[in-house]
Amino acid sequence: MKISLNWIKKFVKIAIPDEELIRLIGARLVEVEGVIDETHKYDHIYIVRVEKAEKIPDTHLTKCMINVGDEKIAHVEYEDGLVQVMCGAPNVREGMLAVWIAPGAIVPASVHEDAPFVIGKRKMLKKYDSYGMLAGADELDFGEDHSGIVEIDPTQTMPDSEMVVRPGDKLADLFELNDKVLDIENKSLTHRPDTFGIIGFAREVAGILGIQFSENQNDIFSTRSPRPIVMGEASLGVLPLSHNGLKNANSGSLKIDIQNPDICPRYSAIVLEKHGEMKDKYLTMVDTRLAKAGMHPINKIVDATNYLMLLTGQPLHAFDYDKFVAVGGGEKPEIKVRLAREGEKIVLLDDKEVELNNDDIVICSGDNPVAIAGAMGGKSTEIDADTKNIIIESATFSLYHLRKTQMAHGIFSEAITRFTKGQPSYQTLAVAEECARMLSDGYKVAEVADDYLAEPKEIVVKVTKAEINNLLGTNYETEKIVKTLTNVGFQVKEESASKIAEKDDVMLIVTAPEWRTDIHIKEDIIEEVGRLNGYDNILPTLPLHATAEMNSEFCLKREVRDLFSKYGANELLTYSFVSEKLLEKAGQDATNSYRIINSISPELQYVRQSVVPSLLEKAYMNEKLPVEKMAMFEMNKVYQKSWGVNEEQVPVERTHLGLVIAERKNNETAYYKAKKYVDGLMDYLNISVIYLPLRVDIAETRMLEPKRAAEIRNSETDEIIGVVGELKNSVKHEFKLGDYTAVAEIDIEKLMKYRNTHEEIKIGQVKTMDETIETDMTYEETLKEIKEKYPEAEIEPMSIYQAPGRKEKNISFHITFKK
Amino acid sequence: MNELEKLKLDLKNLNEEAAKIRELEREKRAEFGRKLNLQKQEILAQIAAAERRAINKDVVPIDITAPCNVNEKLPEYYSVEQGSRHPLMTELDRVTEIYQMMGFDVLESRQLDDEYHMFDSLNFAKEHPARDGYDTFRTEEGLIPPAHTSSMQNRALKKYKSRLDEGKPIAVVIPGRVYRNEDVDATHEHTFYQCEGVYVSTDCTMSQMLGILREFFEKYYEQKLNIRTQPGYFPFTEPSLEFMIEKPFALGGKKGEFLEMLGCGMIHPNVLKVAGINPEKYHGFAWGGGIDRLVMLKYRLPDVRYFESGNLQFLREFK
Repeated sequence: MKISLNWIKKFVKIAIPDEELIRLIGARLVEVEGVIDETHKYDHIYIVRVEKAEKIPDTHLTKCMINVGDEKIAHVEYEDGLVQVMCGAPNVREGMLAVWIAPGAIVPASVHEDAPFVIGKRKMLKKYDSYGMLAGADELDFGEDHSGIVEIDPTQTMPDSEMVVRPGDKLADLFELNDKVLDIENKSLTHRPDTFGIIGFAREVAGILGIQFSENQNDIFSTRSPRPIVMGEASLGVLPLSHNGLKNANSGSLKIDIQNPDICPRYSAIVLEKHGEMKDKYLTMVDTRLAKAGMHPINKIVDATNYLMLLTGQPLHAFDYDKFVAVGGGEKPEIKVRLAREGEKIVLLDDKEVELNNDDIVICSGDNPVAIAGAMGGKSTEIDADTKNIIIESATFSLYHLRKTQMAHGIFSEAITRFTKGQPSYQTLAVAEECARMLSDGYKVAEVADDYLAEPKEIVVKVTKAEINNLLGTNYETEKIVKTLTNVGFQVKEESASKIAEKDDVMLIVTAPEWRTDIHIKEDIIEEVGRLNGYDNILPTLPLHATAEMNSEFCLKREVRDLFSKYGANELLTYSFVSEKLLEKAGQDATNSYRIINSISPELQYVRQSVVPSLLEKAYMNEKLPVEKMAMFEMNKVYQKSWGVNEEQVPVERTHLGLVIAERKNNETAYYKAKKYVDGLMDYLNISVIYLPLRVDIAETRMLEPKRAAEIRNSETDEIIGVVGELKNSVKHEFKLGDYTAVAEIDIEKLMKYRNTHEEIKIGQVKTMDETIETDMTYEETLKEIKEKYPEAEIEPMSIYQAPGRKEKNISFHITFKK
Repeated sequence: MNELEKLKLDLKNLNEEAAKIRELEREKRAEFGRKLNLQKQEILAQIAAAERRAINKDVVPIDITAPCNVNEKLPEYYSVEQGSRHPLMTELDRVTEIYQMMGFDVLESRQLDDEYHMFDSLNFAKEHPARDGYDTFRTEEGLIPPAHTSSMQNRALKKYKSRLDEGKPIAVVIPGRVYRNEDVDATHEHTFYQCEGVYVSTDCTMSQMLGILREFFEKYYEQKLNIRTQPGYFPFTEPSLEFMIEKPFALGGKKGEFLEMLGCGMIHPNVLKVAGINPEKYHGFAWGGGIDRLVMLKYRLPDVRYFESGNLQFLREFK
């Protein structure tokens, strides 16, 4: 959202420098993402009068002599006090007030380009001098209109003055263009629909500066009480139907029928009848303010609705009255607000046909949809050059429905952005009436209707001074608290201290203004007090409290991290989401994985079942870098549907340690390298394990070669802790990995369960010896025998030798006896 | 003839059969082709399976209990110079260590959660547009890989509630991995790490929250720091703030240059209530911030995508 500081200053007298103001807005209202400095964007651009206009035959050019005022302009030759400029616009004529970009000025539309366009003296048709240029709206950065040059209303007065505009006046002064425009981060105002209008934003600015805000300053209309408007031919009179009086009151023949107040709490409409021409040839403050907010002027009617939306936050929509009646098929307009029927279709203003669903709210003429409420109008009732009479709609709709509409149809207009914050209903009629007033040159009010079905209750919150100070850690006086709140429209009553427990405490009864639909509980009031006075003014302190407890899993992971990195292994983090292809390559069943329905890509569609497949993918990538030898590990969470849910009804979660060993040039057996890491870990954690042939058939084992893989089981309970092994040849092939590849996948929870921190330490070496046994048993069985033989000794393997053609092996051990 | 040879012969025969398509009348060709093609696919699948079986067949078994294979050297670990710890994890360890010194317990966040913990228990109204701000992923079952560690607040409050009855505060930090459905570039990742903090007591204040956060960052950066806040909006805190620190000198910071570090606020009474804690009696504050950013700042890394890349040339720089 773009906010013009000059516009804000129309509502609040600001006595501090802009930089300080912007800092305070950031600290007390909302993040300012950027500041667009337009202080010099319109330098050397003047209002001029075309005194003579002489058409050059057989060209599109006109030779103009312009009055540029009394002040002498540099780099310009005068002829009888006038300056010559050539102009190609069809609408240039004698006597008009135009906008002149003087030589040396930068064309405003090019200010932000890499090479801004500087206008100078030119020679045209080889003989006509032309100083500067008469500017069109596009060159001035007020939209895309390139049909002619901009014309200024000669009766327009300078801001805050009685003086009528004269040649030589600066364009920037006339339209207050020396401005700073704030780029506001919308997200943090999600709960504050009121700040999506200049009035609401200015109210907050007043609040953070400690100034009482008043809407009526500078004769800006009040959103609370509409000004009287002209009905038909009658003279000024107070509107017969007031929004704070009658409900469901329809004047004359304009009928409003709301299917359900939940989808549309209030619908106001005004019918305007054409009685004259709008002064639409002149550039106005409305055009320049729309442009600053990043909106393009379209036509006077649409511009008025957009302008009021920027001012008040209340979006308006204009229908062509006669088309509206024709679509309904009756004599008079009948506005119906209802939920769309599934499959119903509508062509929108952007010419797209949309198929509706029954979460969309539609505005109908009779029963035929003419707009998607809050989102976009329909083509069938579009305002065009021939439009005579119009219907101005000012309504509020269910933000929940509009949010679904936004998602279903991808409509992200300025209007729906405001509606989905939950615009309050109190001002719909007042804003529609102001729109009628803006268009009163060409239109008179024919009918007014207002259906206010769901008037909100007044919000009253009680909070004590102590509660405020105790939550914030502040020491604010009652007077300061009350002033803070009343500055921005809250009403505060103080209740006598006798009614509450604490002697010097004060109970405040706070009534929220109509636009503060976000206020519900006392914490909301506490926030206002803390925020408007500045959280930065709160002194940081530290509480005293108890000691913390260790998280054993967290500690264990830290130990593994330290241990494995010492062992030359590298810790990786890989995505939790994997592709169906990866699951398939690892022999895992995709239906056992939770599937993401809105994944970024097919690569990230399934929640992974184990860690190893992700690491295998990285092994190939790293080999190509090239990295020759690697031991990669990752500790992360994994999920399998077959594990079911826990007592909270959410999927059972396990933390796995995955390990992958990979080398391209190694003819030995990778299994033993992986086992070495596992043994090292088990040793460190003092867990006694045995390696058994694969028996279980689980996601983690499907990729393993049964003849060269093992289950790691606790020796005492026989519970499985993990698996270690080489890959099936077909899997290695799929992952493009060499023969020297081995993996392990271990359940961290089991490591915590079996780790033993009480180890008996034996000090002092007494005797060592080596012993070789010839055997055809497995290593494990042999080791068992030798352990039985030397029960108190530490036994380490030395080598395993097998002579060619022999079945028996020679296993050598190194045996250490300690005290 | 073995199985594979037989299948390959079948395929050859089928291909010969297919050549006869030209002899058929035009209108029968399509049907004929379709049928043959189905058969061909079936045979190709069988061949693939047979090939897989064949390449997996002649594997030499090993003694899985041994420390090495016969006639091979005992394996050794890779050299310590080659080893590394993931910088995100190292930093997360450091972060939690500081909080532990300050008396906070540590709880890790889940990586697959539900709507209740992600939104409902955090005072997000049903279907509220505020839910859209989080760009959540969803599974077929409606489960959510959490978009913030705040999804653990309700669990943490319930888990440590009994502390309050003992007259102690709840003080816990919750590190974890979170996910957002957004386009990845140098500063955005769909997968990243956050650390949440939750504190509840009878008399805690916003002033204490600011004190704890400043203390943490001063410990973390080992210097005195200026802090700044700006109003924010989260449905689960009221008031809500963004917390900023002046960029530390060690990181090349200049005076007046502030960094947004985390979102924080006083826990909304509804969040306490849903967890069974009386909001009339107890107050709390909570915060949450990204870890990736801390690490990027610390090591001046230009690109967040390194973290989950698995690139060993990058990772081995972090001993």
